[in-house]
Amino acid sequence: MTLDLISVAIGIIQTLVLVVLAPLLTGIMRKTKARTQKRIGSSILQPYYDMIKLMKKDEVVSESSSWIFRASPWINFVSVVAAACFVPVMIFYSPFGLAGDLLVVIGLFGLGRFFTLLAGLDVASSFGGLGSSREMMVSALIEPALFITVFALSLTLGGTNLSTMVESATHSTVLAPSIIFAAISLFIIILAETGRLPFDNPATHLELTMMHEATILEYSGKGLALVEWSQSIKQIVLFGLFVNLFVPFGISTAESFAILGIGLMFFVAKTAFLSIFIAFIETKVAKWRLFRVPDLISMAVASSIIGVIFFYLK
Amino acid sequence: MADNNVLQISAAVLLIATFAVVSRRGFMDWLNAYRYQSIVLAAITALIASITGIWEIYIAAGLTLLIKAIIIPKILLRITGKLTLEVRTEISPYISIRASVLISAMLVALSYFLTQQISIKTDSIVSTFLPVSVSLFLIGLFVMVVRKKALSQVVGLLILENGLFLFATALTHGLSLVIEIGIFVDILVGIIISAILMSRINYTFDSLSVENLESLRDD
Amino acid sequence: MNYALLLLQMTITLFLGGSAVSLILGGKKHASLVIFSLSAAASLCAIAFASNQFLSDGPTRFSFKEIFPLVGFDVLVDNTCAFFIFLIGVISLAVSVYSIGYAKKYGKISSFGFLFNFFIVSMILVTVSNNVFSFLIFWELMSLTSFFLVIYEHESQNNRKAAINYLVMTHFGTAFIATAFLLSFVQTGSFSFDSFRQLGSNSIFKDAIFVFALIGFGTKAGMMPFHTWLPQAHPAAPSNVSALMSAVMLKIAIYGMMRFLFDFNNISSPDNAWWGLLMIAFGAVSSVFGILYAVVEKDIKRGLAFSSIENVGLIFMGLGLTVVFASYDLRALSAFALMATMYHVINHAIFKSLLFMGAGSVQFATHTKDMEKLGGLIKKMPWTALLFLIGCLAISGLPPFNGFVSEWMLLQSFLLTSQVPDTLLQISIAIASLAFALTIGISVATFVRLFGISFLSKPRSELAAHIREVPRSMLAGKSIVAALAIILGIMPFVGINLVSISFGLSGVQANPFAPLVSDTHDPIYASISMPTVLILLGCVSVGAFGFVRAIGGKTQKITSSTWDCGFGSLSERMQYTASSVSYPLRIIFRFLFRPTLQIQKELEHSSSNYEKRSVALTQSTEDIFEQKLYRSIISASIAFFGKIRLVQTGKVNAYVLYVMLILVVLLIYVRLQ
Repeated sequence: MTLDLISVAIGIIQTLVLVVLAPLLTGIMRKTKARTQKRIGSSILQPYYDMIKLMKKDEVVSESSSWIFRASPWINFVSVVAAACFVPVMIFYSPFGLAGDLLVVIGLFGLGRFFTLLAGLDVASSFGGLGSSREMMVSALIEPALFITVFALSLTLGGTNLSTMVESATHSTVLAPSIIFAAISLFIIILAETGRLPFDNPATHLELTMMHEATILEYSGKGLALVEWSQSIKQIVLFGLFVNLFVPFGISTAESFAILGIGLMFFVAKTAFLSIFIAFIETKVAKWRLFRVPDLISMAVASSIIGVIFFYLK
Repeated sequence: MADNNVLQISAAVLLIATFAVVSRRGFMDWLNAYRYQSIVLAAITALIASITGIWEIYIAAGLTLLIKAIIIPKILLRITGKLTLEVRTEISPYISIRASVLISAMLVALSYFLTQQISIKTDSIVSTFLPVSVSLFLIGLFVMVVRKKALSQVVGLLILENGLFLFATALTHGLSLVIEIGIFVDILVGIIISAILMSRINYTFDSLSVENLESLRDD
Repeated sequence: MNYALLLLQMTITLFLGGSAVSLILGGKKHASLVIFSLSAAASLCAIAFASNQFLSDGPTRFSFKEIFPLVGFDVLVDNTCAFFIFLIGVISLAVSVYSIGYAKKYGKISSFGFLFNFFIVSMILVTVSNNVFSFLIFWELMSLTSFFLVIYEHESQNNRKAAINYLVMTHFGTAFIATAFLLSFVQTGSFSFDSFRQLGSNSIFKDAIFVFALIGFGTKAGMMPFHTWLPQAHPAAPSNVSALMSAVMLKIAIYGMMRFLFDFNNISSPDNAWWGLLMIAFGAVSSVFGILYAVVEKDIKRGLAFSSIENVGLIFMGLGLTVVFASYDLRALSAFALMATMYHVINHAIFKSLLFMGAGSVQFATHTKDMEKLGGLIKKMPWTALLFLIGCLAISGLPPFNGFVSEWMLLQSFLLTSQVPDTLLQISIAIASLAFALTIGISVATFVRLFGISFLSKPRSELAAHIREVPRSMLAGKSIVAALAIILGIMPFVGINLVSISFGLSGVQANPFAPLVSDTHDPIYASISMPTVLILLGCVSVGAFGFVRAIGGKTQKITSSTWDCGFGSLSERMQYTASSVSYPLRIIFRFLFRPTLQIQKELEHSSSNYEKRSVALTQSTEDIFEQKLYRSIISASIAFFGKIRLVQTGKVNAYVLYVMLILVVLLIYVRLQ
């Protein structure tokens, strides 16, 4: 895994794949939800049209806000894309793997979230504060679940370096029980981090139920496009981590174009399947009351703790 | 090795099923989760049967499936059908659901720790299922302690019983069939009696909260 | 030519000179410039002194017989010591520069400047002391000067109470430390640290000594449940002093603890593993409770004080992991955990002093530290806001700032416990890591709230509306530490090399791009390279900007009012407040805060319950340790002494009776022997 030109090129392609495909995944989820609710729904390419349109529009900025509000979408976008660099997509490693591990990915997401939360507080409306306050709670409580899941994963897969993890996931023949528990936990965490039901409803603008939407309510134009885009990149990064860590079949192990293409196809198929599955779940469940959200998080924590115990005491 | 892995995973699935029961508040929810847990338990019993090759255990597996996954939920549904929704949902347990899920995880850790000395010396079936059965036992007791509604206390009882069953099957590779059937009948009768008692409690106090039973004490 | 002695003498002389000058010049116009320039020069000397030690081969020894003629003042400067002196030097340099402007708040500063300089010099002298007497004397000097600094704004009743509380608790701690020293003395018959070193792990009381040292130094460091002085004393003290106390004085306690753990002891048997576990447990409690109290706090400085407790908790967890690894003889892992801990020590000193100085600037400009009265400061004080934001990002452990690096290393140390050959220990530490992660999660929330409420949106009161940026010297002081926070974040090898040299670890890196690796086994367990992350961030931002510009073209920015749902203009009273932002967390951890809620209504007519003239809502949270533990101890002791008073009758006959009784008892005792 030396840092030669080909592997750097692969790394950049992997990142670009994630960045480009991210809105598609959002489109697929929206379409699935529409169809399961007996609606026709918009095209799965709609998120792309929206984004391009938004980028051409003028921005309306609140007079009580500061530079934080304007910088936040950019910082959010940049940190999420930088996090995407470390994630293996169609090949089992990322050339930037030595520079950052799973914890760096989490940290960069954290950086983006920090500014989103600040932007929510910056606009001096009660909506923004409300969204920030709720999202703050969920993100604070999800942290232990996330770390103990990383703990269970690193025990089973031999590290927090993503390349090492995905590689050993590819090579392992037996399914370790600790992996099952970690998968359950990571699934719950993904629902929380991407603001899906039952944590948060991404399709609502009611003050009773908004979380993420409330923090970005004041955005328009380029800012809004970037916010939406970074949200879907974050989503595809988490989905990609999930599929590559738990169902790594089809990921390519050699640096040839044909195999890379197959790896890419498998990756798209797997993430699309996962997003359809999550969209189904979203149609089936209702949003949970805010103060019941910790119940779900505690399940994730419990699951990962048992995963760790299983690993240590088998 | 592969056998061992299958055993481990089945134990893991059973624990997941148990947590599904613990984390539910509504009556229908936990009943469904319990059904699922019993199916997993039956599958595990069948697995033990196929590994040990004792045919009687297959019968025990079949009985588990029949009684625990079908008959007991049916009976409970029929008898409690008249009760209102409020009576059937655990609204405010002594310890919140999230805390009880976390404490249950700690109980799993504890039971693994307690049985660690024993399980090293024995075969893989015992070493896999002994800690799981002890944790089901502890979790069942814990659920009975923290729930207020009589109906939800039955959950604890059922989890506990499943733990006992697994304990017996794993440790002895099947009790004598007669005893096994006797236990099944026993639990069936136990459930019927407790269900009848519950509807009587509800009739008398207009509530299923066991707190009300305190007023029966002779002061 | 002995540079070391010269530099040490210069440091001490300059600080003492600063004290003397402030007594003389006190009320003059430019007094603060002179006094604090002297302190800054002295701090530079301290830095030079420490660097000189790093470059020299072995420990340096001096003896000043003339200062304490009876016991002597032995000085031993090894690299560990130099590390802490370096830290003191850097932080006091920044704080001294800051104080030039900040001290203008007080008219006459003779006593303030005197105490300030004395405080810093006493901290340096504590670290270089090599025997019990000088250590305790300077320790006491440090406690007393800081006590007088806490009580400096003595007009307020609360500050006086806080200072008294501090005085009591700090002596409680000192008593434990002295006991730990005495237990060592009993075995060696000498008060010199050298003899303690030789005693090493042969000590028969080593477990007892450890517990006494942990409680003693833990009290000074603000470890829960001995922390009660900290959230009172830090807000009461002037902000530059709080910065010094939190950033440096707490670390002196960590220094003492390290002497006892690794210098006077040689941990290498699994019998010592419980020490580590005990420290992890204390650390976990301190960090979780500390940050939970910080997230609901409305007073900026009190919030920062609670966050200091949290960080001390993290440091104790790191020390605990070091001890656990060392006791199973996992040298490489133990070195990594120690490096992580010491990196966090540096980082905490840097960002906490930055934040306290920032809070001081807010107080300087607005005369309040109540978050509910602030807001919108970013427009009037842009530089203060930017520097404070850097502090917030660093303390929240976000890349690419220094907090991230040390928290990454600490998290890795937790993950590496899978190599400890004891299952029970492995699982307990895995569960303790939950506390660590929860702390990090909530600390992000804490600092989003702290910055968002105080600096962003609209001013919440008149106090915050008409303000000016603080003087340049204050900004300069903060910039020093802010720059360090960034440098240590993007170039971790600077900090790693510093720590490696100081503690004799084998982690010296020459190449800044070389990844930081937690475990050197083959396939790579985990690694980061912060410069690369920074380059990636840079490339992505250039790319993103270009792409968006290419697709969207040039667009305009239109300023308008915030969306008000069509109801008319929003007022600043409709914003989210500090308490409402933390409301969800307060509800979830209700069992801990025991919030009290009082609603007072004033009715329009006594007949109708629905038309109200005004509704007042008061909400408060209490420190559960203070409420449950300390109050019961205090009331129990009051009751106890009430009983004892019965003995004191005031009659001479009774006293004679006591004497007689004691005599008889003694005689009987002697007879029975």
